[in-house]
Amino acid sequence: MSVELATRLIDVLGALLLFSTLLILAAGQLFRAIYAVAVQSVFLAIAGAVLGAATGNPDLWIIAGITVVVKAVLLPWLLIWVVRRIQIPREIEPVIPINATLALAAGIVVLAFRLAASLGPVRQAITGNALPVGIALILLGVLVMASRRKALVQMVGLFASDNGIFFTAMAVSQGMPLIIEIGVILDVVLGALVMGILVLRVRSSVDTDIADLEDLRG
Amino acid sequence: MAVHKPLLRGAVWLGHLLILAGASAGATLALRVLIGGEGTLYLALPRLFPFAEMSLSLDGLSAFFLLVVALVTAAAALYGPSYLGAHAKAPLVQTFALAVFVACMAGVCCAGDGLTFLLAWEGMTLASYVLVVSDTRSDDNTRAGLLYLVMAHAGTAALLVVFLTLAERGHGFDFVAFRTAARSLHGSTRTALFILALVGFGAKAGVVPLHVWLPKAHPAAPSHASALMSGVMLKVALYGIFRLGFDILAPAAGPLPASWGWTVLIVGTVSAVIGVLLALQQHDLKRLLAFHSVENVGIILIGAGLAMLLSRGRGAEPLATLALAAALLHTLNHAAFKGLLFLGAGSVISRTGVRNMEELGGLARRMPWTTWLFLLGAVAISALPPLNGFVSEWMTFQALLLGGAKLGGASGMLAGVAASMLALTGGLAAACFAKAFGVTFLGRPRSVHAEQASESPAPMIAGMLLLVGACVALGLVPGYAMPLLDGPTQELLGGLGPSAVVTARGPLVLSGNGAASGLEATSISVTAVAALLALLAAVAWALRGWPRRAPRRLAPTWTCGMLPSSRFDYTATAFAKPLRLIFAAVYRPRRAITKETGPSPYVIRRLGYTGEVVDLAETMLYTRLKRWITATAQGIRAYSTGRIQGYIAFVLVTLVVALWFFARA
Repeated sequence: MSVELATRLIDVLGALLLFSTLLILAAGQLFRAIYAVAVQSVFLAIAGAVLGAATGNPDLWIIAGITVVVKAVLLPWLLIWVVRRIQIPREIEPVIPINATLALAAGIVVLAFRLAASLGPVRQAITGNALPVGIALILLGVLVMASRRKALVQMVGLFASDNGIFFTAMAVSQGMPLIIEIGVILDVVLGALVMGILVLRVRSSVDTDIADLEDLRG
Repeated sequence: MAVHKPLLRGAVWLGHLLILAGASAGATLALRVLIGGEGTLYLALPRLFPFAEMSLSLDGLSAFFLLVVALVTAAAALYGPSYLGAHAKAPLVQTFALAVFVACMAGVCCAGDGLTFLLAWEGMTLASYVLVVSDTRSDDNTRAGLLYLVMAHAGTAALLVVFLTLAERGHGFDFVAFRTAARSLHGSTRTALFILALVGFGAKAGVVPLHVWLPKAHPAAPSHASALMSGVMLKVALYGIFRLGFDILAPAAGPLPASWGWTVLIVGTVSAVIGVLLALQQHDLKRLLAFHSVENVGIILIGAGLAMLLSRGRGAEPLATLALAAALLHTLNHAAFKGLLFLGAGSVISRTGVRNMEELGGLARRMPWTTWLFLLGAVAISALPPLNGFVSEWMTFQALLLGGAKLGGASGMLAGVAASMLALTGGLAAACFAKAFGVTFLGRPRSVHAEQASESPAPMIAGMLLLVGACVALGLVPGYAMPLLDGPTQELLGGLGPSAVVTARGPLVLSGNGAASGLEATSISVTAVAALLALLAAVAWALRGWPRRAPRRLAPTWTCGMLPSSRFDYTATAFAKPLRLIFAAVYRPRRAITKETGPSPYVIRRLGYTGEVVDLAETMLYTRLKRWITATAQGIRAYSTGRIQGYIAFVLVTLVVALWFFARA
């Protein structure tokens, strides 16, 4: 694959990733957010594959494969299973209104691009334009966690943020070393499992939402 | 506990014997350096950290303090097993903590670099914390332990600033690099570092107003550990002051800054007076002793401060040597008699289970050995001849009076004031121990516990005898102790050693040599005083009952026809009452009398009296500080919503702001 083609493809994929994050933020329903993050993971995997083809780095192919299997299929499926199991209302329940969140998101995206402009030396030839998108993804993922009440949506935010970290790593170098990528994915899987078990157990034993645990503070 | 009882006892004994062996080895090593003229011993330690070499170095000053550590440690190791066997809950843990504690104290004294020093220093704090909280598990002890830990770590924080500043400038942690770094310091930086060091070490040494933890934490430990904490750990902190003040931070040439000397002298004077005043009003035997440690640290600091004032190039070098020798000798003396007194108190406590002296009394017949040994310790700490406390305080007086005359003017007046405060301290200490000894050991027993007491086992007595031996020897023939002080004083001040300055005529006559400064000096022979006292006692004994008019008749004390009971005796509260009235401005005494009346208000069933005095430092300083911290914490708590979204939002905002600044730059 030629370098120009790879650059253009990465640009397009970056735009798609950013768009899918905005979908998560704008989602009014739980399932839409989960589907959006699954789609985002697929885009990320494609980006990894494109970069792998352009640079000939076999590690990127492996990571792309793991991303598809774990983040695009396994974890979204786990979230959906938990939602079905505990039968909670499927609205998102934002802490701050969705419109306001989107306005904040716009500000963050502008900041990310401005920051990336001053980071010229770090950019690489192929994935240069990916850097601001990666930073924006990380911050927007955190924004999702901060602005949504349900623990499950916060998990979605964590996945989005994690995707952002992967994308940033692709932008500044050609991905992190394989062992670190695998470790990070394992962390996310563990986090999802712990959260899933906690939500299930809290719901089945005391019949409250996990967000109500804040009442426990002294 | 699952461990077989004899096995456990054997393990405790073995541990203490190992400590004893270590103490003997340490004492031998110290004496080799001090008297044997071995010069400085140096030992490089294995390299544990990539950024610093670690080493032990034993020069005169280190060796002297190592000797102090070894002396009390040996006594405590003899004393410990029987004491722990009597009532300890976790004897193995305490034995282990004791070993670590002692080893770390020796480590601090012998450290050749800042890192080793700080590591040993922290180990000392942690091991003694274990000893404080492990003996009796009460809320009070836990709180005392916590306060101790907080104060000790605050002090260490100050020390860390000093050490890291020096390490950063000297490019290394060893003391040689520190000295080189300190040479090039600016005067005010040097003074700031010294004040920080004084605060850091002072917090550990129990200098007023940083002493509040001391009377709470020291009594909580097992008694032989209290003896080590009060007798030795405070001295290790003083070692730090000596090491930094006279050696590492000292200017390359010329005298030490006068501001250092005055600070130390004033702090010492205040500590001495406040310490003894508060000790007077304590009725808990060990707490009383702990407050006396504050007093004695003050006395040592008076000597040290004076030595700083008179040091190097002010034309009074022999006087500076005299003052420093007095301070160092008092360090050794206080270790001996305070160790002895704590062991004696421990002996009383282990046989009666009571710490409040109001519930004791009449122990003189039941515990004769303990009584005599405690009495000797009390005489020594009250600075009465012919025991060792007198010697070092006499030397301090000589230094103060001669130094005051030498300084002249307002400075001389201030030295005179310090001398009079020291005299007041001595008098009050004597009053305090008249009370402590009289109420605890004389009269009639005031409780069943005191009535059923019996003498402590031989190993405990042996431990005390060792320290009494030191007290008597240092008291009767102090001239022989002067060569011990030669090494440290010459290292710190240069010039003549105390064996040349202090004992003008042989080891038996003490004489502060003022002639070198053009002043008249007095001399005294404690040995002669002791002989005179012994002679007087012998004469009085020989003349008892002469002239005899009628045969001797034994009868109970006449008590106006009532049956004499222990309620007739002086109580500790009553004994201290006059002084409580005189010093009411310091004590702010509070008392409450509760009456329980019967059907008619004229029939009183029971009268209750509670009285207490306050520690001004605690109420004025610490209570306010605590209130401020609580208020601040409440303020912060308002932002702690308990909502995870809130916390994540904090993270996000911080990130965005940081990135914003980064993007602008």
